[in-house]
Parts: sequence; structure tokens; C-alpha cells
Amino acid sequence: MDATVLGAWVATGLTLLIFSFLYKDNPLFKLAEHLYVGVSVGYIIVKTYDTVIVHLVVKPIVENGEIALLIPVAIGMLMLTRYVPKAAWLSRYAFAFIVGMGAGLAIPRTISSFILKQIEDTVRPLMSMTGPDGLAFSMNLLNPGSNLNALIILLGVSSVLFYFFFSIEHSGAGRAVARTGVIFLMVSFGAGFGYTVMARMSLLIGRLTDLIEFSDASYGRPTIWLLILMIAVLFFLSRRDQEHPPDTH
Amino acid sequence: MSFSERMLKIDRRIIFLMIGLCTLLPLLYPVGLPIKISSEVRGVYDHIESLPERSVFLLSIDFDPASKPELHPQAIALLRHAFRKNLRVIAMTLWVSGTGMADQLVTQVAQELGKEYGKDYAFLGWSPGGQAVIINMGQNLYSAFPSDYSGKPTKDLPILDGVRNLKDVTYMVSLGAGRPGVEEWYVFGKDKYKFEMGGGCTGVMAPGLYPLLRSGQINGLIGGLRGAAEYESLIGQKGKAVAGMDAQSATHVAIIVLVIMCNLFYFSLRRASQTQGQVG
Amino acid sequence: MIFLRRQLPLLITLITGLLFAGQYYVPHPASEQMLTSATKWLQIIGGFALILGVTSLFHQHAVKIKRQEAGWGYSFVLYAGMLGTIAAGLWADGKESVDGAMTAFGWVYNFMMVPLQGTMFAILAFFIASAAYRSFRARSREAAVLLVAAVIVMMGRVPLGEYLIPLSGDVSSWILNVLNSSVRRAILIGVSLGAIALSFKIIFGVERSYLGGGKE
Repeated sequence: MDATVLGAWVATGLTLLIFSFLYKDNPLFKLAEHLYVGVSVGYIIVKTYDTVIVHLVVKPIVENGEIALLIPVAIGMLMLTRYVPKAAWLSRYAFAFIVGMGAGLAIPRTISSFILKQIEDTVRPLMSMTGPDGLAFSMNLLNPGSNLNALIILLGVSSVLFYFFFSIEHSGAGRAVARTGVIFLMVSFGAGFGYTVMARMSLLIGRLTDLIEFSDASYGRPTIWLLILMIAVLFFLSRRDQEHPPDTH
Repeated sequence: MSFSERMLKIDRRIIFLMIGLCTLLPLLYPVGLPIKISSEVRGVYDHIESLPERSVFLLSIDFDPASKPELHPQAIALLRHAFRKNLRVIAMTLWVSGTGMADQLVTQVAQELGKEYGKDYAFLGWSPGGQAVIINMGQNLYSAFPSDYSGKPTKDLPILDGVRNLKDVTYMVSLGAGRPGVEEWYVFGKDKYKFEMGGGCTGVMAPGLYPLLRSGQINGLIGGLRGAAEYESLIGQKGKAVAGMDAQSATHVAIIVLVIMCNLFYFSLRRASQTQGQVG
Repeated sequence: MIFLRRQLPLLITLITGLLFAGQYYVPHPASEQMLTSATKWLQIIGGFALILGVTSLFHQHAVKIKRQEAGWGYSFVLYAGMLGTIAAGLWADGKESVDGAMTAFGWVYNFMMVPLQGTMFAILAFFIASAAYRSFRARSREAAVLLVAAVIVMMGRVPLGEYLIPLSGDVSSWILNVLNSSVRRAILIGVSLGAIALSFKIIFGVERSYLGGGKE
């Protein structure tokens, strides 16, 4: 059998095993779930070995004599001492280095990228120059760069930050600002939900597209045959459970 | 038990079946409704369109098979566009589980357009460390990737002539499904090395990247399968994303109908209990 | 001993943290060279961290098999999948394809890992639909706002929605570009401030939970 055809049968079978969870949790799903974890872990181990050990460490040391690379290898090995209870404290050196460096690298870059740049774009001029001496306030909501939208964004950012940071009891004017912040938040969460639905449905569309492709005669129609088999097995398992309910004690 | 109560406690497998059919039927019998192009997606397209031939285009394929249906069509469409414009395409990934997929899609599109490995494109593969890889590439690309995916020394690749680090990249797009992704490429890459940058992401992430888009930190954003369908329409070569848009429409309408029904039953139940309360 | 086990790691964090935060503002060739070398080191250490993360599963499932806990047979499946993939990977020198031809490792990746991982996430589509039906109710004014925004965006981002209600496309675009942008920006600023504060706490040894394992 051609490797691609065999692959189509295996891929279809595994896809249907996972989908069987929609009927109910069953041994076929559990089997596929554990196989997924095993294959993924195996894949990561092989890629890490090939990329890190072979290409980033051994080759540069052997071919270019970059002996200094043994230092990160030693730090990495220290990390693995977590598996040896008596020597586990040695892993702290590795984590101290990674965490310290990570924090140091992140501080200035985060300030520049996410705080200064974002504030800069929030406090835009509320009026725009339209000529040598004319000032205008554009009201077009559909243009994200209009003055009205700039004002709405300023209001949104300030009210949401106020709602988050001022944990005092909101009363009077503060209450109005916090309420505005909540409304903005709800609209954004709604948009987020809409996009999440879109994303999840796309994933299903992708898997069903593959199943449709594998229902083709050139692959031997694995989707159709394996779907029939899957329904039969689930029916058999369901009957068996009805006749011999699993012992809950 | 009233009708509304019964409907609210309906077996969830009926809903599953409805969603399954709403996805499957449009895939089998497509309608092909027109797709409107958004300014976010046009931002990336227009920028690539404006680049001169042989400009250096870096594509970071930062996703794994879990997000394949959304981001794979984006990657295919972007690569087709870049290859047609005769850009020098450098592809890579920061996600270990995405390596095989990235290799396959780059090779597939390059073969489709008759591009030569090493001269027109290169696939650097994966390297661990996320943000460290980005900074290291910014400092010295050959230090971050001493060899490409197949093990050839990167210094020997003609496509990288004159490319020392990220400062020599003309345009960069990260197709991210999480971390590391678009945000990390900005914070640890563009912030210091000042290359022009666009983004592509899953639908879940898209709303969170709008602040970067507004501030001009990224010049375009391709969001989810819809974004991919828009890009496919822009380059005039329809693929899996456009094919999936009818199913996307049907499932969205199905969810909206479900939400409306749920609220109708909920309000009917609430009204009934209020009436009972008044009588009682 | 307490110095070696506790104070020295904290000192390493303090020095590396301050050094690399300061490096951003000192673009001297020597400082840039230090950044190049250190990030290369971090790449290599990142590989070990990845191995540390995934190998913790070995132990967990080995214990399950040893004690013959419920479902220990599945742990065998996990080990078989892992060892089979490692064998195929080493056989193929860690490459999914060589000169465009798929290797055995590539076969395992394409026909096992890709469909398994893809489907695992695809089933969420069904659960989000079920959750929307069961719990997406306009119980309060805020919930109603959330619901209306979600419906507009869901309509406005698909061709059928734009066809049925032409305005939905423009309204959803405005919601995303303006209202959503402002909220996400506030969240981004807030989260960034929190991350910076945490980074300083780590550098100055106030936050030490990352030191974890081992006795004092």
C-alpha cells in the first residue's frame, strides 16, 4: 500500500477516534488522546536533540572550536538536576540565570513597546490641521483615524484603566467613569467572543475538509468505511455498558 | 416541566449534530458568497505589493497543527504573493511542533512557482528560546541559525548575501497562534532592529492585536480564516480559506440562532416565574 | 551552604537582570557582543528547559504503570507512541523530509500528530456552540451589551452576515478598531505595568518562587 494512502487511513481513523468523544467519553477517545501526547512528546524530544545538541552545540564545537558553548550546556545540565532530589538545588543556578536575564531583557523593551508607544497613540491631538491655519474635527466613525474615534479611544482607555486600578468604592463621578469602563469592557469581550467562535469553527472546517478529501476513491474512501466501523464499535460499547454497567465501587 | 425548560435542557448532542451539519453541508455544496476586503488585510498586501524585487521577506511560521486550518492558508497565500513578486523569502518557525508543517508548506509553494532553494528561498527551521532567538537574529542571523533546516551552513546560502541580521530584513510577517508570536516579534525584534512588520494570527488572538495595528507598530493584520480568505481573494488565487467561508457563515448564523433561542426560552421562563410569584 | 543554595542564585538573578536591562541603553560594541553571546546561550538552555518540561510526563506515567492505577494501559500507549516517534525521528536524522521526499518521521508527523492535535482542538467548536446555547443569556444590562456586540461581530465577519445586514461589516469593523482597541490597549498597558513590576521583584529577590526545588 502507498504510504500516503496508508497515511490517509491512519489520519482518518485517529480523527474519528477523537471525534467519538462527542458521543461520550469512551476508551477509543482515551486511546487516541494518550497516543497524541506520546507522539507529541517524542516529536519534541527528537527536534530538540537534532536542533540543540547536533546543530547548535556539537557542530559549532567540532567544526569551529566554539568551546564557550559548553557553558550553556553546563547550565542546561544543571537544570536537569531537578530529577535528583539531593542535587536539585543546583538547578537554581540555571533558573536564576534564565529568569534574571529574561526579566532584564523584558523591562526596557516592554516599557518602550507596550507602554510608551501605546500611550503615545492614545493621546493624539483632538483637532487636526487642515490647511495653513485651519483646524478641523473629523466626525467620521468609519475612519479609525478620525478625531471622534481618537476621542472615543481616549475615553475608553482612561475609563478601563480607572476601573482596573482604582479599587476604592466607586461613587459620584468615579462611578460614572467606572460604569463607562465596564460598558467598553463588555463590548470588547463580546467582540472577543465573536472572534473565538470564528476561530473554533475554522478549526472544525479544517478537519472536516480533510475528512472530505479522504472520502475520495483514490484513498479507498477511508472516511466512509471507518465512520461505519466507528459507529458500530460505539454501538457495541454502548450495548455492553447497558448489559454490564461498570462497577462503580 | 414547561416547553422552555425542556428546550433549555436539550441533549447537547443535538446541538453538536446541528453544528456538524452546518459545517459539512456548505463544504459539500458551496455557494461562494463575495468576500469584502478589510483595511487590516490590505495593509499587508499593499506593503508586499510595493516592495522592489529581491527585497528580503522574512516569514515566521509561529503555529502548530492545532491552528493549521486558520494559519496554514494565510501562510500559503503570503508565500504565493511573495514568490510572485520575486522577493527573497526566508522562512522559519519559533514553534517546535510546527516545524514539519512549515517545511512542507514552504517547499510546496516554492515548487508550485518554480523557485530554487538557496537562491530564491530558504527554510531555517526551528530554534528554541523564543525571544532569545529573535534577539540573537537581530544581533547576528548566523549565530541564531548556523545551519538551515536541512543542515546546510547558512553562510553558504546565496539568498542571504548581504543579510547580516534583522536590520537587513525589508519586511517581516509573523503568523502567530500564541506566544512567541506577533507581540514577541515586535517587542524583541522590531523595537530595536527597526524592520517593517505585519502580522497574521488566529481569530482568538486578533482582537488583542488591534492596539498594535492602530499605533502603526504593525502595518497590517490577517485575522483567522476570514483574513486568509481575504488575502486569497486579493492575490486572485482562491484556496482552502475561501472554500471554508460558506461553512463559516453557516456556523455563525447557527450560533446566533442558538443564542436567540436560548434567550427567548430564558425570558419566557423568567416571565412565567414572575407571574407565578405575583399569583402566589 | 545557605550562601551557595540561596544567596548565590539570588545574586546571579540580580546581576544578570540589571546587566541586561542596562544593556538596552548602552549600544557599545562590547555590550552588543555580550548580548549576542548571551542570547545564543539562552537558545541552548531553552532546549534543555523544553526537555525538562516534557520529560516530567515520563515519571508521571511510569508511576501509573508501576502502581497499576486505573487506566494504566493507556500509559503504555503513550510510551509506545513516544518511543515509536523517537525511533522514527532518529532513523530520519530528525528531518520530516529530505530533498522534498517524506521520511518515516515526516509520515508520523503528517498522518498522526497533525490530525490528532488538529482534531483535539476542533472538537472545541461543538462545546463553544453548546456553551453559547446554555449560558449566553442577557441576565443583566452588561450581559446584554456583551451579547449584542458578539452577535454584530459574528454577523459582520462572515460573507452571509454582510450580505443579510450590509451595515454589520462596517459596525463590526468600528467595534474592533475603536471600542475593542481602546479596551485591549488599557489591558495591554495594565498587564505590561504588572509584568515590569514583577520583573523588578524578581531581580531584587522579592519574588523567589522560581527557585523552587531542593532543600534550603
